[in-house]
Amino acid sequence: MFDILIKNGMVIDGVGSKAVLSDVGIKDGKILAIGENLKDGGRQVLDAAGLVVSPGFIDPHTHFDAQLLWDGAAKPALEHGVTSIIPGNCSLSLAPLKAEDRKTLIGMFQQIEELPPAAFTDAFEWTWETFSGYRAAIEGTLSVNVAPLVGHSVIRLWVMGADAQQRAARPEEISAMQDLLRECLNAGAVGLSTSFVDVDENARPVPSRFAQFQELDALCAVLGEFGRMLQIVPEFYDTDITIARIDQLAELSLKHKIPTTLSPVFDNRQSPNNVPRTLARIDEQMARGARVWPQMQTRPIDISFSLLRPSLFFARLPSWVKILRLPVTERISALRDPVTADKLVADAGEDGGERLMGRLIVRGGGEAPEHLVGRTLGDIAAERGEVPARALITLSLENDLEIAFLAANGGHDSTDRIGPMLANPLVHIGASDGGAHLTSFSTYGDTGYLFSEFVRKSGALTLEHAVQKITSEPAEIWGLKDRGILKTGYAADVVIFDPLTIDRGIERPVFDMPGGGMRYVRDSIGVDTVVVNGQIAWAKGAYTNAQTGQICELA
Amino acid sequence: MSDAVVLAADIAAGHDGDAELVVTVRYENGVVGVVALDSDSAFDIMQSCGAASSADLVGRPWHEVLKGV
Repeated sequence: MFDILIKNGMVIDGVGSKAVLSDVGIKDGKILAIGENLKDGGRQVLDAAGLVVSPGFIDPHTHFDAQLLWDGAAKPALEHGVTSIIPGNCSLSLAPLKAEDRKTLIGMFQQIEELPPAAFTDAFEWTWETFSGYRAAIEGTLSVNVAPLVGHSVIRLWVMGADAQQRAARPEEISAMQDLLRECLNAGAVGLSTSFVDVDENARPVPSRFAQFQELDALCAVLGEFGRMLQIVPEFYDTDITIARIDQLAELSLKHKIPTTLSPVFDNRQSPNNVPRTLARIDEQMARGARVWPQMQTRPIDISFSLLRPSLFFARLPSWVKILRLPVTERISALRDPVTADKLVADAGEDGGERLMGRLIVRGGGEAPEHLVGRTLGDIAAERGEVPARALITLSLENDLEIAFLAANGGHDSTDRIGPMLANPLVHIGASDGGAHLTSFSTYGDTGYLFSEFVRKSGALTLEHAVQKITSEPAEIWGLKDRGILKTGYAADVVIFDPLTIDRGIERPVFDMPGGGMRYVRDSIGVDTVVVNGQIAWAKGAYTNAQTGQICELA
Repeated sequence: MSDAVVLAADIAAGHDGDAELVVTVRYENGVVGVVALDSDSAFDIMQSCGAASSADLVGRPWHEVLKGV
């Protein structure tokens, strides 16, 4: 008898095969059988008629490192069908880390990932310094599978202390970093992450940015001993430098026989050649045998701002730029001045800012009155008998500037362009940043959006192809053993979803972070059941008590 | 050969949800490239070269603009 028998589902195996009506039998955490009319019965029988049964989704770019210590499900990622995550990206992981360096790392996490301080002081006890110690701290309470990266910045901190953020490493220090990386890989790290971009809370480059090439080369030599991944954040603001990094990654990949990945890569209409040029170079380097995987997110990028901090949203409006760059108290005084406010409104256009600001959406989570949240500024302005530019000023003043506005779909938003990019065999779907940017936008639901926007709406990918892009492909790229495919003997990570409705919900603020901290989330739509290593972890809108997540075994 | 010059300066959505300034530059050798600047950098260069708005950057020598970063 099976532990779980899933009957009558449209089974998509994850490798691109066409969906077939079939049953799936699960026992002892593994797929035991796939076939029509399985007879053995099951302790739990799930009727999946009309639904797709697929491998669990894999999210290769997350920052759930801290959250996993109090939430082994990485909520709400799991309810979107994500059964395996890769934290530790962008040079930052929570291990290896000496006690005296914790404060330094917390500052970096807060700056880069917008994690609240209480996430590091109230939510868990630091019981570890080593990578294996961190692993032990999260193992046992996981509901998702985890393949953790080790961060280059923390490896530097461990070996060099404060000097890690001041200078290049000496030969003996590089050697010590190699030993430390080897120890982490032996403890289960899926690879090394580094960043050429990020800064800490004091705007100082993170430690990994002080590394010279020979240091990265030496660390990649260790990755080569294990065949493990190098993840980088390239200078994505400049296509030419990104291409230079792709060449560098290709050399490291070929020399050390390792896979590499860069993230983020995204499209916008202001630099339309960025992705095509990037992919052209990837194509050339892949043809040489290098493994360089560009990660691209599915979701559009929204612009969010308040008048509390100068935003380039107003960069075309000279009078707004001048006022918004004043110190806050002077800024508020200027905005309260009727003459100045009249000039700002006039400069917003003859339509009172309707074209530029009318479609802005009032965001929740700040001081915005509840009845305004989610409504457009144009709508609110009309109700108040104001033009949008005036409403933006008065609403901001009424709420001490603590009211945020959102310009939806500001970038990476052309479905016609992005669909073919996501379908490109060279593109690795990822870069969700799950668990990060908490107070800026929701990093959950990208998988649902893949199906709703690029399968159902545009048809850029077939259902089977979309499943493949977020299951077997990432499993193969990252070397996750026996995952990402519905196949006998493989881990029973399974998602049951409705192909006609799977989607991401609307973005909404919740206050569920340690210390009551706020974050934006999206609920899942159309996901019926999520199975992790043979036990139901989420079903019919609720989490179970299953804690069957594992540290992923690597191929 | 003429100096590198700013051809366009557009507002775009950055990776982190902030607006950023995408500057299109024609370099001395005729090649056209783009650079995305975050808000701090963009406001700094606008102030440094006396640009009242992002549109005022257009036509300016790139090396003059860069001094503000």
